[in-house]
Amino acid sequence: MNFSFNREVEEKRLKDIFGFSKFYDTQWDVISKVMSNKRILLIEKTGFGKSLCYQYPATCLPGLTIVISPLIALMRDQKKFLDKYIIPAATINSGQTPEENKEIIDKATRGEIKILYIAPERQGNTTWLENILNFNISFVVIDEAHCISTWGHDFRPYYRRIINLIDRFPANFPVLATTATATKRVQKDIEEQIGSSFSTIRGNLLRNNLYLNVLKVESEEEKFLWLAENISKLDGSGIIYTGTRANSELFSRWLNFHGVNTAFYNATLESEERIEIENGFMDNKFKCVVSTNALGMGIDKPDIRFIIHTQITQSPVHYYQEIGRAGRDGKPAKIILLYNPSKDSDLPLSFIESAKPDTNKYYKVIEALREERHTFTTLIKKVDLKQTVFRVIIADLIDMGIVVETIENKSKKYEIKFNAPGLNFDMHLKLKEAKLLEFGEMLFYANTQSCRMNFLCNYLGDNSADDCLICDNDLKIFEKVPANDSLAEKLSYFKENYFPEIIVESSGSNIVNGVAADFYGFSNTGQIIHKAKYENHAEFPETILFRLIAAFDSKFDVNEIDIVTVIPPTISGDIVANLAKQFSEKLGLKFSRDLVKTRVTQPQKVFQTNYNKNENIKNAFEFLNPGQILGKTVLLIDDVFDSGVTIKEAGRVLTRCGAAKIIPLTIAKTVTGVD
Amino acid sequence: MKELNRDTYLIALSHIQDVSTKTVNGILKEFGSEAGAYANFFELTADEMLSKHNIPIEEAVKIAEFKSQLPNFAFLNDNLVNQGFTMVAASDSNYPANLINNLGYDRTPSILYLKGDIEIFKEQCIAIVGSRDANEDDLNYTALLSKKATQEFKVVVSGFAKGVDKKALDSALELNGKSILVLPQGILTFKSGINEYYKKILSGDVLILSTFYPTAPWLVKLAMARNAYIYGLAGEIYIPKTNDSGGTWAGATSGIKKGRKVYVRYLDGKLPANLKLIELGAIPLDEEGDEIKGFVRGGKVNPKKKKNIKPPYEEGNLFEN
Ligand SMILES: Nc1ncnc2c1ncn2[C@@H]1O[C@H](COP(=O)(O)OP(=O)(O)O)[C@@H](O)[C@H]1O
Ligand SMILES: [Zn+2]
Repeated sequence: MNFSFNREVEEKRLKDIFGFSKFYDTQWDVISKVMSNKRILLIEKTGFGKSLCYQYPATCLPGLTIVISPLIALMRDQKKFLDKYIIPAATINSGQTPEENKEIIDKATRGEIKILYIAPERQGNTTWLENILNFNISFVVIDEAHCISTWGHDFRPYYRRIINLIDRFPANFPVLATTATATKRVQKDIEEQIGSSFSTIRGNLLRNNLYLNVLKVESEEEKFLWLAENISKLDGSGIIYTGTRANSELFSRWLNFHGVNTAFYNATLESEERIEIENGFMDNKFKCVVSTNALGMGIDKPDIRFIIHTQITQSPVHYYQEIGRAGRDGKPAKIILLYNPSKDSDLPLSFIESAKPDTNKYYKVIEALREERHTFTTLIKKVDLKQTVFRVIIADLIDMGIVVETIENKSKKYEIKFNAPGLNFDMHLKLKEAKLLEFGEMLFYANTQSCRMNFLCNYLGDNSADDCLICDNDLKIFEKVPANDSLAEKLSYFKENYFPEIIVESSGSNIVNGVAADFYGFSNTGQIIHKAKYENHAEFPETILFRLIAAFDSKFDVNEIDIVTVIPPTISGDIVANLAKQFSEKLGLKFSRDLVKTRVTQPQKVFQTNYNKNENIKNAFEFLNPGQILGKTVLLIDDVFDSGVTIKEAGRVLTRCGAAKIIPLTIAKTVTGVD
Repeated sequence: MKELNRDTYLIALSHIQDVSTKTVNGILKEFGSEAGAYANFFELTADEMLSKHNIPIEEAVKIAEFKSQLPNFAFLNDNLVNQGFTMVAASDSNYPANLINNLGYDRTPSILYLKGDIEIFKEQCIAIVGSRDANEDDLNYTALLSKKATQEFKVVVSGFAKGVDKKALDSALELNGKSILVLPQGILTFKSGINEYYKKILSGDVLILSTFYPTAPWLVKLAMARNAYIYGLAGEIYIPKTNDSGGTWAGATSGIKKGRKVYVRYLDGKLPANLKLIELGAIPLDEEGDEIKGFVRGGKVNPKKKKNIKPPYEEGNLFEN
């Protein structure tokens, strides 16, 4: 081992390797403890320099340092950083091929790597497991350690299991856990979980370059108005966080309508598209990205100059984490929460309410597993639950010691543990209470009249912070919604003429992104569709036809369409087909009902998981007389766009039949979905 | 405080090359489940291991050298637990008493890797083992023995080889009996088997057991070694059919030498290797799976069978000269 415990000596080495002339006191404290085989939980704000606290020891220790990190993007950034200093580092992750990963494992085995970044999920991988026994491991680091705690807001099931892993390490083996956001509660949880072998080092969390502001509004419209009026006046580029996916689209388009260059970002986008937006954002191609919380930790842009929330977050921790991405370069950044007291609690509360699935869904999973072992896919199909719900349940069942995840020939199988305890939901109740309390604290943040940064630091367990002197309360300067009638008029014009996008483009299909006449829950379109379809099998009212035509016109030109066709109904009824026919007649387009089902399918909405939706519809279409569409542009009409599975499948069939371009057009697009 | 790392030390110790089971079990006996004691132990130099804990110096050197690999075993330990396996050490109170009694504490496996209900160890266990190339008649007889044991609430221990072993297992389970499956490989490589017996594991009727390094593949060597543990786990040993070499034979003859009760199908002396075993001291069984009382060397089954016979000999010592 190559470490003297003499700060001057080590700072010379630091200078040689990293080019920094001094350790910060906290860094030195952590590093010398690590080098004495201690276990440390380090809580320091973003940008402090936590990474050096393990990177430096890694260069002193004889063996391998393993860093468990939650995000591939973070791992890659760190690797890039270490490459600069010629410190052999590598990442093993699911974005690389098994061969690439194996090669890195072999290198690590030969001692050619000093720092190895892995995701916690790697612990379930056979190749990893078979090879790790040949490693020479000196030190383990848990990055973003708040993910360990159930109370942390980024709870990742595999992270939780790291606690047990750490407990299984021999005594006198150094472990460093780092995080920027740990409330006292999370700290306590981590300390309890990891055991008394850990000691905590907590720095101050005050970010003195963040200008915190809260702007109370009286309606959703006022948020639109404020943004339109002010966004261009803000320095640099930034992020607008919205509560729902639909809103990310809507706000983004509204700003575009005002000539502000924005992109929207949420979990429904294909990964290529996401990467494109992320890169565009990094390169300052947009004034801002309007996003759900899907745009997150992976973004390592140092010069984010503003972060605006159009929806109050669930807790101050979420908020601190999200605004913490601004101003990492230390220069001023403006932070604004647009808050409508009469309305904005609905979303967080419903989220807290539905954070845990119904108990009967847990029983459903257990029942299925009592019958046989299942892979992820066979189980999710069997129980037919939404993937998000299913993941929560499986993670909880594993956490409760009821289900175990076994590895069988590279694939995972779930099974019930022998002698498993019964289901116990006490924890869920506690968690819910805690979340309600946290939300209460967030409301307090919005309403407080004293220093907002001070409140956040206090809440996060840093009681040392002074007032920041730069928040709205300290400066006594408050943002206002502009009184601007012409702007308000513009907004209602925009809303009337706003048609949500249908994003379905993907390689291997000639389908392009299309458009919907409305969001399902925004106006009464949803009710009209429901009534027409399920209650009286009437025709759609003419308003729907007009709106559909308007939607079409907003993005496409009638001259580019060669033929119109319609998704055949599941059960019976011609109302959608009739609408499509009327549509074609009005626009003078050729209409065909040759897109037919080859077999009976179930209504897609009876299925929860896309696996079953896919299976339900897979190869269920054919297009009669394909000569009609060979090389042509087809307008494909359906009623509601939800998961997109049906339209994408029809798109594939039409592509196979020779269609050159397929444009989807639907009456409505569902708005469900917060990320 | 949770002491999850005890098993990390345990797994590591059990698989250090050239360190004997006797030494490891001695360490286990001394430290039991106290993780801190192992931690301190691993801090010692080889000389200190010798002077403080009487570890032979060559072995102490190996153990001291192994220290740097301990963290690796934390990963293995964690993975085993995550996959629902449990570990029991020779010094633990729930370790099967039969194994220690039959093999001796110094030779009993230091660690057992298990999946299923370990309470099964507390029940009366018999082993049914035998030839892999059994014919239908052999298998029918195996089924008979297994079912008989099951009806007497005995647990059938077998080796999951094809032929007799597999039949013994399946017959016991057919009657909702219990069975211990002793693997000729590491427990992590036994994939298909866990699938097949999953529901029986869940209901507490099947316990999977391996004594080998968790990722060890199936090996003849391990299959041979494994037989000793099958015999060791059982109170009595039943052999429907053996060849006069191989694992069953080796295990049976050594069992007889140790004075274990080894029961063998007689079938009028038509099974030559079985007969040889009987001549070496195994107890002959009739076609109903009962002991043939009053059996005399080279003789025939007494037509009146057991009821009227008063054995002129001590059980199990029939052929002792
Ligand atoms: N002792 C130091 N002296 C100068 N710069 C440092 C020192 N330690 C870290 N840094 C720099 O600070 C920046 C932030 O470090 P990082 O580890 O990414 O922060 P954190 O992980 O705490 O958010 C990096 O650019 C790093 O090079
Ligand atoms: Zn302030």
